[in-house]
Order: sequence, then C-alpha cells, then structure tokens
Amino acid sequence: MPEKPIQGEKRVFMTGNEVVAWAALAAEADIMYGYPITPQNEIMHYWTRMLPKYGRRFLQTEDELSAGFTTAGGVLAGRRAFTATAGPGNTLMQEPMSMAEAMRLPVVVIVQQRGGPSTATVIYSQQEVTMTTLGGNGEGLRVVYSTANHQELFDYTIKAFNTAWKYRFPTFVLGDGYQAKMRESLTMYDPASRGITMVPTEPYVGKEGTPGVDREPTHLRNTYNVEEELFEVLEQYLADYAKAAPEIAEYDAFDTDDADLVVISHGVVSRACKAAVKELREEGYKVGYFRPITLRPLPVDQLREVAGKAKQLLVVESANGQLDRLVKEAIYGNTTEMLSLFKPGVGVTTEEVVARVKEIKG
Amino acid sequence: MAKPVKIILAGEGGQGVQSVAEIIAEAANEEGREALYIPNFGVEQRGGVSVAYLQIADEPIGAPKFQIGDIVVALSDRAVHRTKQYAGPETIFVYDSGIENIEDALPKNAKKVLGIPAIEVSKKELHPRVFNIIIMGAVIKATEVVAVEDAKAAVEKKLGYKFEKNPKLREMNFRAIERGMELVAGIL
Repeated sequence: MPEKPIQGEKRVFMTGNEVVAWAALAAEADIMYGYPITPQNEIMHYWTRMLPKYGRRFLQTEDELSAGFTTAGGVLAGRRAFTATAGPGNTLMQEPMSMAEAMRLPVVVIVQQRGGPSTATVIYSQQEVTMTTLGGNGEGLRVVYSTANHQELFDYTIKAFNTAWKYRFPTFVLGDGYQAKMRESLTMYDPASRGITMVPTEPYVGKEGTPGVDREPTHLRNTYNVEEELFEVLEQYLADYAKAAPEIAEYDAFDTDDADLVVISHGVVSRACKAAVKELREEGYKVGYFRPITLRPLPVDQLREVAGKAKQLLVVESANGQLDRLVKEAIYGNTTEMLSLFKPGVGVTTEEVVARVKEIKG
Repeated sequence: MAKPVKIILAGEGGQGVQSVAEIIAEAANEEGREALYIPNFGVEQRGGVSVAYLQIADEPIGAPKFQIGDIVVALSDRAVHRTKQYAGPETIFVYDSGIENIEDALPKNAKKVLGIPAIEVSKKELHPRVFNIIIMGAVIKATEVVAVEDAKAAVEKKLGYKFEKNPKLREMNFRAIERGMELVAGIL
C-alpha cells in the first residue's frame, strides 16, 4: 500500500497547476485523463510525475472529446476520475459533459480559463463562465466552484470529488490562467487529518450479483425514444438539483449590511475587489463585498438579500457580463441599479476597481 | 494595513528575470511572509520581452497583477519600452546602463531612475551567467524586501545541485548578489 501523499499539514509555495495535482492525489483520485492545452498542461505533468509512487494512473487521449468521454468511462467503472482543460478544450469537453449530466456521472473537471473566443490567448480570462455553468445541450445540471487563490484550489479540488460523488452531478473547479501559473503559499493537508472523509466510489457497471434478483438492474441511458419519457427523467433530475442547490451553494461576503454599493465578483478578480473594498472603506466609502464561490448553483437567497439592501451593485469581471447575466437572473425583480466593470480577457487590478467606484460615487 | 511591495522585472527571454523573481519569492516565503509571483506566460516565451510580477507582504496578497510598481527593473531596450508604463511617482526604475539610445524612453515620472552597469560587471568581473543574480542583489538592496541571507538560502535551494558539482559556482553567485547590492547602494 503506497503511503499517503501528504502526511498531516505542510506549508508549501508552488504554482496552481501543481496545487491541483497534489489535491487530486490527496483526494485519492485514481486516474486522470487528459489532453494538453495551455494553461493547464502542468496539472498533467505533475500528476504523471507523482503517480508511479502512489499507484495512480494517467491516460493521454487524442483530444478533449475523448478525454471527457474516457473520464466518464472511468467513473462508470467506479474510479475517482478527473480531467483538466481550458478554452477550446473546454468547448470540446461540453459534449461528454452533457452525457455525464444525462447519466448522472460524477466526473470532475478542472478548468484553467484562457482568453476566448476560439484559440484567442493562452493566458487568462473569466470568459468560460457561461460555457462551464450552462454549456452543452441540456439544462446545466452541474456544480461549478470558482476559486480565487491556491488554498482554495487545493480545498475545492478535494471538495469537488466529494460533491460529485455525493450528488452525482458533473463538478467543475473553475480556475484561470493566473491561478494556474502564479506561485503563492498554501497549506496542504491530508483530508483525513481535518475530518474530511472521501465519499466512497462505486462502479455503475459490472456490479456483483444478478440484476433483478440480487439487485436493481443498472439502466444507464442518454437517449430516449419518447419525449414524455425524457421529460419524466428530467423532472426527477431537476428536482434533485433544486433540492441539492442550497446545500451546495457557497459564498463569501463582508461589509454588506450598511453598504450603499456592493461589489460583486468571482474567482481571481474577487482578490482585486476584496483589496479595493477594504481600501475604499478606509477612505470612508460605504462599500461592501460579495463573491459567489459556486457559480452553479448560485447562492441565490444571499444574493437577493444583498441586492435588497444595497442601492447599487457593481459587477466586476474579466468577461463581458457573463457573471452579470447570472446575477441578474438570480435577483430578477429587484430594481437595484446595476453597474459594471467588464474587462474581457484581461486581468482586473485593485487600482481599477477603486477608480471605478470613485467614478460612480463622484 | 501595510501595502505589499510590488516589483516588476523585465528582460529578454534567457536573461533570467523569471528565475530572479522566483528566487526572491521563495526567500520571502521561507521567511514566513506572503509572496505572489506570476510570469507573463504568453507568446513572450517564444521570443519577446519576459515580464515577472512579484509582490511580497505580511498579509494575503490581492490581485496578482498591478498597475504601478515600487521597483521596476528593465534589462533591455525593449524591456524599457514595455515597462515604463508601470512607473509612478513612488517608483524606483532600474535599467542597465549599457543599453544604448534609451534616454528618451526612460520614464519621466518616476521617483528615481537608476542606471546600473550589471551587464558589464557580469562580463568583466564575474560571468555572464550570473547577470541575473547581480540584478537580484540590486532588487534586494533597493527594496530591502528580503534579507540577503534568505536570498542566498533560496539560491542554494534552487542551484544547490550545481554547487555540489562545482563549489566555485556558489562563491560566484553569492559574490554576484553582493555586487548587485553594491551597484545600487552607490547611487540610491
């Protein structure tokens, strides 16, 4: 039995891609399926470098379509399987992820967003929000965690496996090029040392016993002849998702109670917004900070509460309103003024957020 | 809240600016401080100006990139053009004094603009390969962001396997740090 990759706790300094590989190891992931694309390549590199020591596996596929489908296949065989991609790879990944939604397969996908559309830049964006939350033909029955720093990349990669296997919806960790490539410190840990139990996996196919005698037959479908039959299945799925959503939804907020203006952001941009709100508070501006950690499902109740109190909401993102659309839908009916700072495909700095708020407030 | 020290290092691919940023970041991390280092990782890797963004603080660091650096180091003609936008009234702008015909491109609004003969010193006194370590010494002196002992320890950690084979390299690298510090100390 190979030893545990991480004993107890350990402060480290590394890139986000390295963090993801370590987190997957710590989460007892069995196998990664992958196809190289910047800026997530090093997840594969680090994983393949470490896996012989810990008895894990890796398969490089011929493209992201096959990486997605083989990840689904790994899950069908009961393996804690994952993949990682970005940009055009994420686009291709949507077809297998639709199938995973249809069959309720707990696949885990790490996305390190790059600029789009198409090949665009190899660097950074938050332009994969719409695709990651709602991509594919279907209703977007999936979970998306948007991380902001290396500690969260580690925490939520572990958590993604448990969310996926507990609720049986495809689960994404939405990072980005900056998180992939930057170095900063974090504390790695063995999940067990913090009381985190990994949800056990089980095969979907090839189970023991005789179907219909010892156990229910396995009936896996992603195709239906009759529209009413599909509707019936989806009604159940949608009900499951609606029930799970409040349990899964997460957010982070401060200074929202007396705020005139609340800055809403996610992922790495929320770091700039957090620093900006603190700076503005020190200067006497009544600003607050709200950040959905789950982009799907959104923390709808909390968003509505914040929107109900504030006079203005400022949505800041490295995309042209992809988060903004999600927020508007969630708070539909609310008449709070919506303002924006959109920088599609470019990072947002603290200075820019401060300047935008001052411009609004005069 | 003490603001992070913000450093930008820029040069041609191969000059080693990314290694310098990484070593300083590692040194700060070893001191138990917060450090964040992010390279420009676009097509610059395939020929172009390589830029490293580095921040060191006592509290968790915000956005990975920033608009104005406390210290900006430009090591080539193109790097000066590329990085003058990061200079503000509090910025110390360091460039290699061996770069020719660059006077007009140097930032006018910086607190200080310092030319240091790092390329020349590396060629004549030490070795061209430790050019970036001289720059590291200059950055450490100009910012006092990490202790020189910790910087040496971080160099040891990164290059120790080479020093094992050739102990003279250690001596040369440590000498390069000190020379870099001297170059800046003389004109600060």
